[in-house]
Amino acid sequence: MLRRGPPPAPLDYTRRWWLRAWLALTFVFLYAPIAILVLFSFNDSRRNIVWQGFTLDYYVKAANNVSLLEAFSNSLVIAALSTVISVVLGGLLALALYRFRFPGRPAVEAANQLPIVVPEICMGVALLVFFAEVGWPRGLPWPLSLSNIVAGHVAFSFPFVAVVVRARLAGFDRAQEEASRDLGASEWQTFRRVTLPYMRPGLIAGGLLAMTLSLDDFVITFFTSGPDTLTFPVKVYSMVRFGATPEVNAASTVLIAITIALTVVAMRLQAPPKAGA
Amino acid sequence: MQSWREQPAAFFVFILPATLWLLAFFLIPLALIWVISFGERVGPVDIAFTWTLANYLDALDPLYLKLFWRSLWIAAVATAVVLVVAFPVAFAIAFAPPRAKPLLLLLVVLPFWTNMLIRTYAMLAVLRGNGYLNWTLEGLWEATRLLLTPIGLGWLTGERFVPLELLYNNTAVVFGIVYVYLPFMVLPLYASLERLDRSLLEASLDLGASQLRTLFAVVVPMARPGIVSGLMLVFIPAIGTFLISDLLGGPDSQLLGNIIERQFKAANNWPLGAAMSFLLLYVAFALLLVRAWLGARGLRDA
Amino acid sequence: MSTLPKRVFTRRRLLNTGVTAAVVLPGLSGALKAQAREVVLYNWDSYIDPETIPAFQEETGIRVRYDLFASNDELFAKLRAGNPGYDVVFPSNDWVARMIAADMLMPLDHDRIPNLANIMPRFMDPRHDPGRAHSVPYFWGTVGLGYRQSVASPTSWGAIYTDETHAGRIAVQREIDTLLAGLKYLGYSINTTDPDEIEEAVQLLLRAKAGFKTFAPDTGQDLLLSREVDLALEYNGDVLQVMQEDDDLSFVVPEEGTILWEDDMVVPRGAPHVEEAHAFIDFVHDAENNARIAEWVMYPTPNAAAKELLPQEIVDNPAIFPPDAVLDRSEFALYQGEEIQQMRNDAMTRVLAG
Repeated sequence: MLRRGPPPAPLDYTRRWWLRAWLALTFVFLYAPIAILVLFSFNDSRRNIVWQGFTLDYYVKAANNVSLLEAFSNSLVIAALSTVISVVLGGLLALALYRFRFPGRPAVEAANQLPIVVPEICMGVALLVFFAEVGWPRGLPWPLSLSNIVAGHVAFSFPFVAVVVRARLAGFDRAQEEASRDLGASEWQTFRRVTLPYMRPGLIAGGLLAMTLSLDDFVITFFTSGPDTLTFPVKVYSMVRFGATPEVNAASTVLIAITIALTVVAMRLQAPPKAGA
Repeated sequence: MQSWREQPAAFFVFILPATLWLLAFFLIPLALIWVISFGERVGPVDIAFTWTLANYLDALDPLYLKLFWRSLWIAAVATAVVLVVAFPVAFAIAFAPPRAKPLLLLLVVLPFWTNMLIRTYAMLAVLRGNGYLNWTLEGLWEATRLLLTPIGLGWLTGERFVPLELLYNNTAVVFGIVYVYLPFMVLPLYASLERLDRSLLEASLDLGASQLRTLFAVVVPMARPGIVSGLMLVFIPAIGTFLISDLLGGPDSQLLGNIIERQFKAANNWPLGAAMSFLLLYVAFALLLVRAWLGARGLRDA
Repeated sequence: MSTLPKRVFTRRRLLNTGVTAAVVLPGLSGALKAQAREVVLYNWDSYIDPETIPAFQEETGIRVRYDLFASNDELFAKLRAGNPGYDVVFPSNDWVARMIAADMLMPLDHDRIPNLANIMPRFMDPRHDPGRAHSVPYFWGTVGLGYRQSVASPTSWGAIYTDETHAGRIAVQREIDTLLAGLKYLGYSINTTDPDEIEEAVQLLLRAKAGFKTFAPDTGQDLLLSREVDLALEYNGDVLQVMQEDDDLSFVVPEEGTILWEDDMVVPRGAPHVEEAHAFIDFVHDAENNARIAEWVMYPTPNAAAKELLPQEIVDNPAIFPPDAVLDRSEFALYQGEEIQQMRNDAMTRVLAG
């Protein structure tokens, strides 16, 4: 049989045509609305329902919309902080549950999965009432003013990270850890050189999930934000309800471009030499 | 697994940060709502804490139970679809060359960094009666017609092009849920497929099993933690979703999430909203507890 | 993850150099608060023309922070627990009544709002806020039927509730207005407290439900524009906006009469800049300013002096300023206490879920 290049090895799944086709189809499905979204950011129409013509006006409008830019940067900062903290908390929790027996374990595990389950509006209102009752300080200087939003985001993100990391740890061979210790490494060294690298794909996957959850959250952010803490989803939501002008599409397109750029940079900085990871 | 007493320092370092955060910014706020679920409204904002069960009884109204059942059903169907779609994707990424992996993961997650509302509006533009999908289908229909008419088979295509009614029904809601929750299934699946021992697969194939058989006999069981996690991250939040059914659903697509949302907003009935949320939470917590307990037992026996 | 701190640092650095102005200003504003006067507004989107805010800032030297919300109930839910720092908010009439009942609003000092004299007497003593103690009207309007002229010409609410001609091509609102319009069709007051009348309306809607394409969350006018529906129950201003993009669309207030609504400017308790709030409200009702805003938002203004300055085509447009005959048959929705509201909301929930 004639094929381009050597035939795929039995495990070389990604080179199989049907898998590639499935992958391609899925990406078409995922990206079709995005493509429309980007396309419509150039639409010369106030209500942006039907294509009327090409223009860059709305990009200009978005760039001049100071509050939109502010909401932008707030959302990115919140997402970054939330992701970092969530990955740490979620990763540690996953380790604890994976490794240790302790009284009340099932309850602790289930409790930490509650944020995944709770209806968002219930949690939003709960945080609203909580911060009001506790008298969480208002009018703090930036970025402390974002603290209550970040607190809320972390609370509903880290359980997702924990679930993903645990799924990863479930396949960990403890013999490797024991071998490391037998060879004289300390606990910390074992952790850093054996366990942590193994956890990495889980942490990355969890981090991506946490970032997604934070960037797109509307309900909880709505209830925890104030006039000095504009965030992107809330701003877009209030703009879109009265006419999804292309301005909003333009802002979204730019946000996604910035986030791609930042993530690519972050991943480049992070990628260590791949020596038997 | 070791007892916590063997390494108490490590144990506390691992478990305390998450648990304290959970307590402070989740459990305590939720407890405030729990108290409200036993309250009564007096006036537009004040709530008297009378420890009444009236709200829970109201929440168990057959009308709401019917909605709960509908939400469960739609969420279950959507979750099944998500699993089927996500599995090959996660599989492909797990077996991709190492340099492509981060890129592919990023590509999967990227659409979800656009605002969900605008994305849904864009989806409406694609799926509606005179949207882009139907426009493409109509073009195909016309092309087919053009090809068939000269050979006398033009009648096969029918009189007029009938656009697909893809929106404002439960199918659209399922579609929307699949779209929104896809990364929540792909990512845990990927995390657990990534560590799959290649030698086991090779062994299976060497022993003569077909690819398909290997898939079901070897791959799926080993990916089980990922599958279960994915199911949990998709199914349960999907029950409480409201935005998707708002924008894509038809008159019969009101879900539990919509009703709970109404109570906290338009209806201004926080005690009832709280009671409904907590009924959902009690059931979910019980399920999670059972699963955690079974999991712990299984590990101890192993 | 020894590389994690680096990742965060890099992000912060990039952001700081990139979007400095928008990011640093809020932080500085705390320090400068003593010097700069400020007012914080919380309004619906597209509800003020682009020139008014800069004009206000120039004339008074007061800086404006403008934040947006999307629905009354969200606004109320958020402000219930305390005012996070808004000075002027723009809720609708029935929610203003609720806020007054909940003691969430500050009484207004009419001496600081001399332009109140411009407002039509008809709007100065409404049932939801006698004597305008807490609110100043901003714009008002009607609920009606947007429709595509080439395929429909409705004159009555029956066009969506009983007439089968357009079944499957009708959008109604997900909010209670849909139920209230049903009451109007049956000849009852929208503020009725009679459970039988409300039940009749519920049954009417449940029967009509099969003909609805969707319960739209404020997007009825978009569905009209995209040709998904031929009839939509919507606010007049929303339909007017899409009428600008498609000549085939039009708006009518059905003959049975309709629901009138009004958006008011209020000052919630705990507002940090009360004096500036009053200055803004006064500025909005200067005749010229108001005329300019009215021309842009295309809603009827309660300001008599401004109405004089509007172009004739706007004043004569029945979709913007409905004729008196229609007004006589129409009513404002009243807030009649939590129990009645509960009954109405339960009725609407039954329509949605049934």
